[in-house]
Formats: sequence, structure tokens, C-alpha cells
Amino acid sequence: MSFRINGRDDSAMRMTRLFAKTAILGLAIVLTGNIGVTAQAPAPAQGRGGGRGAAAAPPSAPTPRRADGKPILGSVPGQPVGGWGAGVTTLPRGGGLDEVPFQPWARAVYDIRQIDQFEPHTRCKASGVSRQFSTPYGTEFVEVPDLQRMYIMDNGGPNSYRIIYLDGRSFPPSIAPTNYGYSIGHWEGDTLVVETRGLNEKFWMDTRGTPHTAQLKFTERFTRSDMNTLKYQATIDDPGTYTKPWTTTVFELRWRPGDELFEYICQQSNYGPELMVGSQEDVDNTRFFVP
Amino acid sequence: MRQFVVRGTVCLAVLFAAISAPAQHTLAAKFDLAKPLTLTGTVTQIDWANPYVHVLMKVAGQPLPTLWAVEVEGPIILSDNGWTETSLAPGETIRVEGFAARDGSKQISGKSVVMTRTGKPVYVGTNGTPRARPVASGPTPRWPDGHPRLGPPPGQTGYWGFPTKNSLVEDGVDVQMDAYGLLKNIADAQKVAPMQPWALGLYKLRQSTFLQADPMFLKCMPPGGPRQFEQPYGFQFVEQPEFKRVFVLMASGNRNRRIIYTDGRKQVGQIQGNDDNPLFYGYAVGRQDGDAFVVDTKGFNEAFWFDNGGLPHTEQLQTIERFTRTDMGTMRYEVTINDTGAYTRPWKSTWNLKWVPGEETPYFLCQDNRP
Repeated sequence: MSFRINGRDDSAMRMTRLFAKTAILGLAIVLTGNIGVTAQAPAPAQGRGGGRGAAAAPPSAPTPRRADGKPILGSVPGQPVGGWGAGVTTLPRGGGLDEVPFQPWARAVYDIRQIDQFEPHTRCKASGVSRQFSTPYGTEFVEVPDLQRMYIMDNGGPNSYRIIYLDGRSFPPSIAPTNYGYSIGHWEGDTLVVETRGLNEKFWMDTRGTPHTAQLKFTERFTRSDMNTLKYQATIDDPGTYTKPWTTTVFELRWRPGDELFEYICQQSNYGPELMVGSQEDVDNTRFFVP
Repeated sequence: MRQFVVRGTVCLAVLFAAISAPAQHTLAAKFDLAKPLTLTGTVTQIDWANPYVHVLMKVAGQPLPTLWAVEVEGPIILSDNGWTETSLAPGETIRVEGFAARDGSKQISGKSVVMTRTGKPVYVGTNGTPRARPVASGPTPRWPDGHPRLGPPPGQTGYWGFPTKNSLVEDGVDVQMDAYGLLKNIADAQKVAPMQPWALGLYKLRQSTFLQADPMFLKCMPPGGPRQFEQPYGFQFVEQPEFKRVFVLMASGNRNRRIIYTDGRKQVGQIQGNDDNPLFYGYAVGRQDGDAFVVDTKGFNEAFWFDNGGLPHTEQLQTIERFTRTDMGTMRYEVTINDTGAYTRPWKSTWNLKWVPGEETPYFLCQDNRP
């Protein structure tokens, strides 16, 4: 099981440090008998990278806006930068699995993935759309108005980024499939609607393994309803996997003021690949060669 | 293309007749050049993934056929040369000439891959005419306050790539290396940089083993330090003056990002004062010095190689980088290496990068073809 611990969304180093701190704290409690210390237990969690979200959010201000009235989805000029915490963990939540129009094979894959969680993300593959909002360290939206685009920076995974074009372009005739695909956004009132094509099949859309194929047309709706809240909803149109398009419930991401991006290199202590190529007898050996 | 014509700063040209850039590892790092091998097999699958495309093929044998992986170039280079995932279809019979893998696994380098049905080579050289790429020229673009823009002018896109050096060599030193940073003559090792004896010994070891121990090759560890600017697939600068920071968004490694802070903070951590956690990209602070953007970085860990050619570094490494955009299409990169743990004195290496207008960095995930 060490695979899951190391490979999941944590650097083992950070985890080790966190465990060490917890152990020291525990030792301190034992030695001093000062139970009051436990009230400080969140301290490790507030450290850099270790499980964010412990800090209480301030009372929310209205949606920040640019001079042209459009909502600002990322950090607000003149204020410290900030990021969005994890929100989405599983896409079908809310309506329930039975309301997801799985094709039979897709439901079977979904069921198998509940047992056999070899999610690509755990082996340092780029998170992919929607999945990126489920990593515990959150994301930052970096809007660059003069280049008419927005970057979504991931903290978890391989410390990578996704580009959303906001310049009114159309999709190119052919797109080489990638984990983040080719994303184009437009505003519908206060909602940024992002359409993505050209997604590959090398990631899971959520932590539960909701499946998709390269036929996926993925539409996301981002609405910053106030300073601290980003509403997120996705529509999955994938005739390869589902009998009809379906839309998730609305998820909420919470603003983390002052939460800066940090370096997180998934590969630093990830042992997932070694375990997958056969050092454990029960490990799925999907690839027999490594580069 | 209209904007290029209007601005008159970009002309169409073939940047390279046939693009060949090192994707990941030296041939000898993985394959034994003393073990040439020729195999004929039936293609079962094309694994079109970074850093190298693999053609899987079934080779007849008794009592059972064996499955082999043929390693050819990476998807970016193959695409630039006109090849696609469907250039070779499962079911085709191919004859492969190359070298056997050092570790004895069923892998062969695809130096030559020929379809036996047509007699035509595939995934080697060019397939048709490589597309023309625009080349940028014209004056350095600038911000309203006059300092050079490191990224694209408003409304445009582009990236920096095609470095004129692929590995660190002290300025003024003349030694011959290949595109991976392998010395033609190992006796030149001591000339490359002012290494301390232990560092020279380690450098020679890494060189004489064909850079096999490179953590980027073995584990997809990031190319931190100056190595990020030695990579063929380049990077983008994204400047955010309103938040006083500059992003380096890389194509190589795992499309990593590095942040350079220009808000006057101290080099004690990217977040609120953590200074006990050395990083792959270090703690970087930048400032403008005339037309040069100067970046001071320290706090590196030792879990990566900071140079394609395998020059060593320690946690004491500090780099001072000067980025000077001398015109629209050219960035001069000068890096001063100050590492009292590995070198006898500070030393400097300089090269240029080329602006590739109108394109995003190619999509490269080192992790792509890993299990």
C-alpha cells in the first residue's frame, strides 16, 4: 500500500516531514501532559503545502471586476495573490451514479476503477481538465489580459499548467490530443464558458475514475459569485462513453487569499512506476518497457 | 499570418531543413552500440508518446513470437518532419536496424525502420517537405515604461527555443560536444569548467557512462537551473508586472513552471519564509538592470542535474542569470555559476535563444510514456 501513500497527491518528503512534526508534537504532549497543545495541531497543516484550507476565510467581498466590468477569476491587482482550493472530487456526485448515462462498458470501467485505483495522476501524469480542481493544493488562475488568455497553474501533479484562449479564436482543424486539450473561453454574462477539445485518454476526469474517450467535448462554466467563491460546472459530451451529454452538479471552489504557488515535483519521491512494472505480484503490469 | 505581414517583423523561412534535437537521452545511455541488431516483425501498436515514440512489433519465433519495442524519435521531432501516428499502421511488416538495449529487455533503437511491403523508410528523416516556420526580426518589443518585454507583444504569441548551446561550457573554452553535451574527447573534461577534483571525477564518470545516470532520463526529474534553457523545446515567459512576478513556463521536463519574484522579497522561500526545503528551480528573485533582466537564484537541491552534459552542482549553488532581448527574435542568456561546493571559482556561460513566433511551446511530458 505504500504505493498509494507515496503516489497519491503528496510528496513523500512533505508527508514525512508532516509525520515527523506530528510525532514531535505527540511526544511534546506526552512529555508535558499539556493537552492544550493539541489545539495547535493544525500547525503542520498550515505549513507550506501540507493540507491547506485550515485558515478561516475572511467575510466575503463582492465579485472583483476589471475596468470593463468582467469578473476577475484570479488574483486581484493591488491585493496579495491567492488561489482556489480543492473542490471537485467526483463528477457524478449529486445526481447519483444512476443518473449518469454510462454506456455499459463505461459503467464497468467505472466500477473496476473503484477497486483498482491506478489513476494516472498518482504516477505524476498531468492532472487533466476538471481533475486539476481536485488536487489538495489547489490551483491559481493567472489571467493575462494583454495576451488574451488565462493560465490555470496546478500545484499538485507535475507542477504544470493549462492554457485557456480568450481571443475569440476557433478550434484548429486537427488537434494533437493532450491531457489538457485545447481550451477556448468566452463570457456569457458573468460566467466564463470554456470549451475543450483534443483531450487524450491518459487521465481521469475526477478522482473516482469517471471514464472518457478522445471523443470528449468538455464544457466548463466558471462563475465567481463573490470574492471567495468560484462555482464550477462541467458538461460531458462524449458519445464514445455516454449515451447522451450530461451535466454535473455545481461545485464550489473556495478562495485562499495569500495562497501562493509553490514548487511541487511529483517525481521527487514517486515510486508508482516501479511498483506498476511488476515488483508487487498483484500490480497491473500494463506496460512492459520503461524508457 | 496577417499580423506578421502587417508588422513586417516576421518572414517565412525553413528554420531547420530537418529538425533534429535531442529529446531525452544519448543513444548509448540506453542501447549498447557494440550490439548491432536487425529484426523483422509485424507492427502491433504505435505508442505515440513523449519522450520517444515506440513501435511495438511481434517478431516470429519458436515456440512463441516475441514482442519487441522499437524506440524511434519523439513525437515533436517526428511531427516536425512530417510523420504522424498513422504513418505506420498495425499489421505492416517492418525491418529494423539498430542496437540492442543494454538491460537485455526486448528493445531496439530504430536507427533504420523500413516497411518491407514498400521498401520505404518510416519515422526516420523527413516525410515530404518540412513546414516553413516564420522567423522573427525587428526591434526589441518594450513595455510602456521602456524595459524589454520578455514574452510576446500584446495579442501575439510565441516562445523561446533552439538554444545555441546544449550544455554548459565556460565562455572562451573551445571543446567539441554533441547535442546531448557528450564530449568528443573525454580528455577535454577539465577544460569545460573550473571543477574541484571531486567534481571533475564525477563529471568524467557521468561522461564516460554516456550520461546514463541522468535523473531526468531515469526518473523524469526536472531540468532545473540553467539546464531549463538548454532544452530544445523551449519555454515561454509570462510577465505579470501587476503582481511583480515572471513565470517561466517550460515545454521540457514535465511542462514545469518556475516563478521569478520581482517584488523585492528575500530568497527565503517561495512562500512565507520556508528556507529548509531546497528546490529543483530554487528561490529566484529578479530585477531590471538597464535592458537586462537579472535573476538571482539559490536554494537548489541536488536531486537533479543542472546541465545536460552532467556537470555537478551542490546545494551551495547560486546562479546569476542575465536575460537580454537584443531584438525581436533573439534572447541572450548569460549565467554565472557560483558554487563553492563544486567549483574553484565563479564562472560564466553564455548562449542565445531564438524566438519562435506564432506558436505555443510543443507539448512535451517526460512522464508521458512511463507506466
